[in-house]
Amino acid sequence: MATVEERVKAVTARILKVDPKQIKPEHNFTVDLGASSVQSVELVASFEEEFGIEMEEDAALSVQSIGGAVEFITGVCKEQGVDIEE
Amino acid sequence: MDKARKQHSLVDAQRPNLLEDTFPYNLPPLIHFSQQPVIEQIDGKPVEFDFAGIKDRDIVITDTTFRDGQQARPPYTIDQMVHIYDRLARLGGPNGVIRQTEFFLYTKNDRETLDRCRALGHTYPECTGWIRAVKGDFRLVKEAGLKETGMLTSCSDYHIFQKLRFRSRAECIDSYCEVVAAALEAGVRPRCHLEDVTRADIDGFVLPFVDRLMEMSSQVPDEQSVKIRLCDTLGFGVCYPGAELPRSVPKLIYKINRECGVPSERIEWHGHNDFHRVHANAATAWLYGCGAVNTTLFGFGERTGNPPLESAIIEYISLKGGPCGIDTLVISELADYMRSIGLPIPDNYPFAGRAFNTTRAGIHADGLRRDEQIYNIFDTALLLGRPPRVAITDKSGTDGVVHWVNEFFGLKGDDRINKIRLHKLARWVIDQYEEHGRLTTISDEELEAKTKELLPDYWEKYKPVR
Repeated sequence: MATVEERVKAVTARILKVDPKQIKPEHNFTVDLGASSVQSVELVASFEEEFGIEMEEDAALSVQSIGGAVEFITGVCKEQGVDIEE
Repeated sequence: MDKARKQHSLVDAQRPNLLEDTFPYNLPPLIHFSQQPVIEQIDGKPVEFDFAGIKDRDIVITDTTFRDGQQARPPYTIDQMVHIYDRLARLGGPNGVIRQTEFFLYTKNDRETLDRCRALGHTYPECTGWIRAVKGDFRLVKEAGLKETGMLTSCSDYHIFQKLRFRSRAECIDSYCEVVAAALEAGVRPRCHLEDVTRADIDGFVLPFVDRLMEMSSQVPDEQSVKIRLCDTLGFGVCYPGAELPRSVPKLIYKINRECGVPSERIEWHGHNDFHRVHANAATAWLYGCGAVNTTLFGFGERTGNPPLESAIIEYISLKGGPCGIDTLVISELADYMRSIGLPIPDNYPFAGRAFNTTRAGIHADGLRRDEQIYNIFDTALLLGRPPRVAITDKSGTDGVVHWVNEFFGLKGDDRINKIRLHKLARWVIDQYEEHGRLTTISDEELEAKTKELLPDYWEKYKPVR
């Protein structure tokens, strides 16, 4: 199974149409990767689908970086009993 | 100027102060006045006005939708006027906040309209007439069984000399007073319409004329005494303190009310909107001692129109601090009715336009999503049956779509669908503009169809019942 970070990068690459190899943990979704308002929402929706979890809207949308998303999603998966590869 | 400067300390807070004494939300925002009198310099002397006392003073709205309002459009049918009159009665309520409305009396249709309106049995608005300043016309008022009628008594020299062709002001006043005497003799209360008063010689003509009317009134019972309607015929009136006569609304009201001694309940302000001052001038007239403001529904009247009745209604509640029996929901009913009979009301027209509380900006939609009070003037759903709305364009953002869907499904509080669940619809909206080059607003019908297509589960659960 791919790690959380690999899956987050893959989803991000697909939604934002960027090369996954260029995405780094410190990248900011908006500033570095160019996410628009609606793409930010699409990212959250796609992360939910990818991991089979439900995230609190305001908290999820306040996450700014790839690394932050990995950490946040890992926490939510643990809370909701979803198996992941860290 | 420097003496006024002082330091201001931050009053830090961890909880918001929403100023609910002024913005109660279940009412229009209230207007509070200091208990200190307002001072206006008149004839070189300070004169006090008690604005705060307006809460306890009897102020009313009068209506001229069927007279001035009708001069600006094709005639209403009898059925239409009866329908409107009936709604005016409900809107103004049992306390008669809408105290009177005036009718033409000249044609068979005029008289049938009056009869049918009176047959509805409403106490308010009282029906009054409107005639030319011609002695013979009082026969019409008497035959109609009316107690009061308006009559033209134009008072600027533009009218006295240029239009009516009197040879002198004295001849003009004598002529007017002859007609007033005829009205009093016929047992009809005359309401003298001082046409073009904001362009008249106040000291040289208007005040001597009103003095004479007061003298004539002293000879008859109170209920017949002459009323004065101050007609700002071309909208020249201004409400700024310090402005000079004849344009000063405060000074005009003062002169008529206190110098001539016409009681407030016998003074009425009739404005026109040629300089966009119509509503502020009417409210100013109330504050300075005028008892009635004369209005038309949606401000529809000669040229640029009159003080809008519905704005006066909202102002009345704001000044009085409560609805006083007014049924504000009727404003929306009347707007729908007027549109249905072909009276155009601009979409952005306050309180009644289709989009008066519709926002297009995404950042405003975000505010509405968090708390509708952030971007709504008052509880428009409660008072007007019109919840705040979002029009969907490329500027609406995801928040706009979220607000539209929740409002469409009627979902509130925790039941509201969040933006994560609505991303497909938000994407479709964005693509309309970014991918397809659309330039127009997306209609409610299109959004409804897309909601059904992209959110079938929510549609099944919440679809509106029609």
